Amino acid sequence: MTSTDTSSSALPADFGEAWVAQMRTALTAGAAALGDLDRRAGDGDFGTNIRTAMKLVEKNLDEDSPSGYSATLTSFYRAWLGVGGTSGPLFGMLFRDLSKAGEGSGAPTITEFAEALANGLATVQRYGEAEVGDKTMVDALAPAAEALTSAAQSGDDPVAALGAAVDAARGGADATAETIARRGRASYVGDAAKGVMDPGAAAVVLILAAARSAAGGEESVETDWIG
Amino acid sequence: MRRQIVNDPDQIVPEALEGLVLSHPQLLELNVEHRYVTRKSRASGKVGLVSGGGSGHEPLHAGFVGTGMLDVAVAGAIFASPTALQVLEATQAADSGRGVVQIVKNYTGDVLNFRIAGEISEDSSVQTEMVLVDDDLATDLGEESAGPGRRGTAATVIVEKICGAAAEEGADLQEVAELGRRVASRARTMSLALQAGTHPGDDEPQFELPADEVEFGVGIHGERGRSRESFRDADGLTALLTDPLLDALEMPRGTEVLAIVNGLGSTYPIELQLAARALHHRLADRGLSPARWLVGPYVTSLDMHGFSITLMPLDDELTRLWDAPVRTPGLTW
Repeated sequence: MTSTDTSSSALPADFGEAWVAQMRTALTAGAAALGDLDRRAGDGDFGTNIRTAMKLVEKNLDEDSPSGYSATLTSFYRAWLGVGGTSGPLFGMLFRDLSKAGEGSGAPTITEFAEALANGLATVQRYGEAEVGDKTMVDALAPAAEALTSAAQSGDDPVAALGAAVDAARGGADATAETIARRGRASYVGDAAKGVMDPGAAAVVLILAAARSAAGGEESVETDWIG
Repeated sequence: MRRQIVNDPDQIVPEALEGLVLSHPQLLELNVEHRYVTRKSRASGKVGLVSGGGSGHEPLHAGFVGTGMLDVAVAGAIFASPTALQVLEATQAADSGRGVVQIVKNYTGDVLNFRIAGEISEDSSVQTEMVLVDDDLATDLGEESAGPGRRGTAATVIVEKICGAAAEEGADLQEVAELGRRVASRARTMSLALQAGTHPGDDEPQFELPADEVEFGVGIHGERGRSRESFRDADGLTALLTDPLLDALEMPRGTEVLAIVNGLGSTYPIELQLAARALHHRLADRGLSPARWLVGPYVTSLDMHGFSITLMPLDDELTRLWDAPVRTPGLTW
């Protein structure tokens, strides 16, 4: 059993607030492109659902004035639960597990964050009944959770560990373009979704890239690769 | 052009809930933000009952809130599940300390959102049990089928009534849930449509039918049926629905039966009376005793012209709970 060096594995004290702010910017910027993917490989409501979620996030942050990681993520996950379709509740439950990272008032360590992401993946799979290869958000989430856990265990600093998670998620999301859906939004349109990246998997990439930015990585999250 | 009595089609659900509550001021209250209806006088010291789902099935579900039935009903958009957050708020509003039974029609979105609400409710120490209603015989593909299973339709009214009576008598969470599951497992429904419903604001019904055919095994969201059968008279249409139910339920002669002849939206009351007559004779011919009845629009599908028949074998306990007092907008005795 190796001991965790908390000085290098700690996320910034304002990580929750910064992450939510980065996600709001990135998902708002990406909503149109993600909605377009969903029109080609799903039921077309994902762009609208993201905009609805972001409006509810704004409302919750105004009303709750949350302070600290757990409270900020709680305001964020409850907004997603107020969104229709399947993506709203599944992202809501993912962020609910992430809100519990560390279970303290301060920001979690990268190890605790990795554990929470793995829990979130398990919850999404329990509710969505999707496996890797089914052309859903799980295709990005599963490799990302694995990469993050492994990077955290080998003592990478948070920005590098989250960078590894972003790369793994991106690889998984890119691969969804080549698969035919068995679960989720794209299973209704079959072969018509061939060649189109799953928008839920693409959103997972944005979410993790926002976490990397919030942890002290580059300033903004790129969204122009979606499409 | 199909004309409808609507204002803004996007506001039909909140406006309808408002109208229901304003016209039952002694019975109901509305939570505007989360679109759920509660009893005006909240019950205490009993198991709470919450149900809900997409709108367009009125009087289900909000019309069954009141003494002896539901504590809370939560409404989604037309034919769409309420969100997980709505269901969570509604579930917690139904709790008065002894836990909450969630009565859920078996549709993927409803089941997902009620399960999530149940899981999160545990954070605030609200115990929940889910009763899944899956009575639609038309979607019964056998035990081996990997799909979502039978849909939930008009037997929801029976589950809500029986569970409501048991909760009112002081039964505990497990007892109410087990009773609901027992009702759901022995009730079956078949439906047919002469014409599909039309969404608010739309000009055309959800599907077209030739004048000489009926949609057999139709769903309550305009889902296409199991087959198209030739149009026939009231006795013939009633037999078409009844016979597969009798085959599936295999009730011994002498069994007392609860029967629902349910209008799907724009069926005339006089048409349903003819169907009830035909059903009575069909059951009597098999030596069955139709002991309790509902005849009318209870679980509708917008303005679908058609009807469903639900049958459930009764026993002494179920008959007693069915007969117990109820006071809701949609059901009162």
